[in-house]
Amino acid sequence: MPDLRILLADNPGKRVLLLGNEAIARGIIEAGIGVVTTYPGTPASEIGDSISEIAADAGIYMEYSVNEIVAAEVAGGAANSGVRALTAMKHVGLNVASDFVMTLAYTGVRNGLVIVTADDPECYSSQNEQDNRFYALLANLPCLEPSDPQEAKDMTISAVEISEKLELPVLLRTTTRISHARGPVTYGKLTKPVLKGEFVKDVKRLVMVPANSRPKHPVLLRSMEKAKEISETSPYNKITRKGKSGEFGIISSSAAYNYAVEAANLLGLDVSIMKLGMTHPLPEKFIGEFLKGHAKIIVVEELEPYLELHVKAIAKDYAPNIKIYGKIGNSYFPRDGELSTRIVAVGLAKIAGKKLPINFEVIDEKYAEVSRNLPSRPPILCAGCPHRASFYVMKRVAGEKAVYSTDIGCYALGAAPPLRTGDILTCMGSSIGAAQGISKATDAPTFAIIGDSTFFHAGIPGLINAVYNNNKIIVTVLDNLTTAMTGHQPHPGTGVTGMHKQVEKVMIERVAEGCGVKYVKVVNPFNLREAETVLKEALQHSGPSVIVFRAPCALMVIRERRRKGAEVLACRVTDKCTNCMVCIKLLGCPALIFDEEKVGISETLCNACGLCASVCPYNAIECVKMG
Amino acid sequence: MEEFNVVLAGVGGQGILLAAEILGTAAVKEGLNVRVSEIHGMAQRGGAVVSTVRIGEKVFAPTVLEGQADVLLGFEPFETLRNLKFASEKTLVIMSEEKIPPTELTAKMMPYPSLKEVEEKIYSFTENLIIVDAPRLAKKAGSTLTQNVVLLGVLAATGKVPIKTESILDALGELIPAKFLDVNVKAFRLGYDFVKKVKS
Repeated sequence: MPDLRILLADNPGKRVLLLGNEAIARGIIEAGIGVVTTYPGTPASEIGDSISEIAADAGIYMEYSVNEIVAAEVAGGAANSGVRALTAMKHVGLNVASDFVMTLAYTGVRNGLVIVTADDPECYSSQNEQDNRFYALLANLPCLEPSDPQEAKDMTISAVEISEKLELPVLLRTTTRISHARGPVTYGKLTKPVLKGEFVKDVKRLVMVPANSRPKHPVLLRSMEKAKEISETSPYNKITRKGKSGEFGIISSSAAYNYAVEAANLLGLDVSIMKLGMTHPLPEKFIGEFLKGHAKIIVVEELEPYLELHVKAIAKDYAPNIKIYGKIGNSYFPRDGELSTRIVAVGLAKIAGKKLPINFEVIDEKYAEVSRNLPSRPPILCAGCPHRASFYVMKRVAGEKAVYSTDIGCYALGAAPPLRTGDILTCMGSSIGAAQGISKATDAPTFAIIGDSTFFHAGIPGLINAVYNNNKIIVTVLDNLTTAMTGHQPHPGTGVTGMHKQVEKVMIERVAEGCGVKYVKVVNPFNLREAETVLKEALQHSGPSVIVFRAPCALMVIRERRRKGAEVLACRVTDKCTNCMVCIKLLGCPALIFDEEKVGISETLCNACGLCASVCPYNAIECVKMG
Repeated sequence: MEEFNVVLAGVGGQGILLAAEILGTAAVKEGLNVRVSEIHGMAQRGGAVVSTVRIGEKVFAPTVLEGQADVLLGFEPFETLRNLKFASEKTLVIMSEEKIPPTELTAKMMPYPSLKEVEEKIYSFTENLIIVDAPRLAKKAGSTLTQNVVLLGVLAATGKVPIKTESILDALGELIPAKFLDVNVKAFRLGYDFVKKVKS
């Protein structure tokens, strides 16, 4: 990790290696944005995290908001008060923010507002792979799509300019391969951020009651006509290669563009390539003329056929007889998963009737040979993770018959064997609502499993619903005192803000009591006996109950120990061990190994939580100081 | 040089992303065009992690095409095997001996295969293989956490990477906190000397 103050360097022309998300953070500084809000979510997290590290030095305001809609509202409020703002979220975060964003398009903004959505083709760390370009279409918002870190920075600045020209928020859409790709970025000039402005009252513009909204809709549509003019001459929409024969033209954007260029090179294809960086509204004339100049058009894009639908509509007016290859009707490229140079090359080869210079089948066959029986290595709960103790004790008390409705966060990994404490998972906060439906419909003991940050994000309305309707569920809040999965960001329960200020902690147990829950307990999950008692009581309770399992994330504990130079502990198997395998079979801890016919513990992985020692029937595990 | 591709593969927590960032930063220091791909979040929790570094004027995508890795830097034997699809007979495989048994293997009470078995599978793709006892060298340097930098030292010494060793050391100094720098430079040297000794 570099010192992120590198993002503040007043050194135009300097060339540095930046992650796409860090490049957006640099764009924020160069654009003079004064307010940055976010709710962490992969692959968007490092935008907020980078700004959090440098906000005080940059003299700007940054916050980790409680969820994405609040983040968007805070940014929107600032952008209507004379301050440039940006809010960053993962693609599904925009679902949460969408209620606000859809109508924000009507009120518009006075100062630049950028909404970053980081999409996740291939679901590397997400519950779906929705294509958020359709939000631009749905809400009538201009949309920019970078293809590398340099463009990610440049487009952040352009998004602010377009936003102020049109008085509309602008969507900046990245994907995992943009946000989490590193590339050289050349710095531009810094703009001093304006931090204070004025909120100018204007009821007709800002108060969206029906009488005011109705006339705002045509205003928005007219703004989008202006946006189309911007798109027609945007430097981000360009022809990057001119083919000789005019037979083939490729239209592409974002990460797909990179694959298209490399695949065309690989095949030695004579082709023109159009790169689209402003993808809503699309430059109709510019695309139309491109179509006219070619016999066949190939649309290369990831996920939904968003460009293809538009290109086909444009073709009706400009080149009705042109042949268009893509995903609709003729599936040359998949609509699911992420693309790769290989997938695009295979598609292009098929369309152009060319032979691939690499025989992928031979590689596949050879690879199948060596990878057969290779054990999988999915993500798992870390050694020493307190969630493992929570799951172990829940399972011990309530068994297989109970239903475990889980949520978004590290604890979703509890669904895997041997813990198997995750029976249903959909989206942020869904555990609590879904549990109530299951409980009503089945009378089975039903648990909602939700993390601390997720509880604040989307758990509270569901909890109030359980109290109001007296739905008997046990809400277990797995409180590891951080937003662990996305990189240990603070949240309202941690007492620390994005500006690194100490504030009063919002206590989950007090929130639960305030919601009217009658049975609320806080317990350390490593205290198995107490945890067991509390769970048994909750099962007997007639209404909804809340148990906060509180113990810090193991990674935070180990980092803190290392930082302090404190002694490192690990567990050790003694000669009392009978190799009964109980620890391995019940806990599935990655530090527990089976080597040379014996159960052992990896010194490097063990975080000395002692859970295995607690479950060992032979008292054969002890904790020792290392080195 | 048209393009130079390194695939770094291992287990979340082994410092793979940092190693990739060091290489990428060193490339930028030399004015080269570079792309690095990373996977964060869910995939890091003890799961398989792959990062790629691509250097060259005509490089656009951050990801590597099957069979096109110049170097496969394996931080762990299973993960080296899992990424052999990027290798061809021209590829140099550098593999650490650090075995991290996946929980699936442990649960089935199956032993981790011997290095010999792993080697044979790699030989079906390429004969260019360097096996490094990275855990031992890292420990010798002063911290088992420096295995990633040991492997970078090995890579630098092979002369395969089109970046000067000084640039890698510069990048190291930029990216590693001052108080851990000495032990990391030592780890780099131990990896570097390991290859030089074998060669001579």
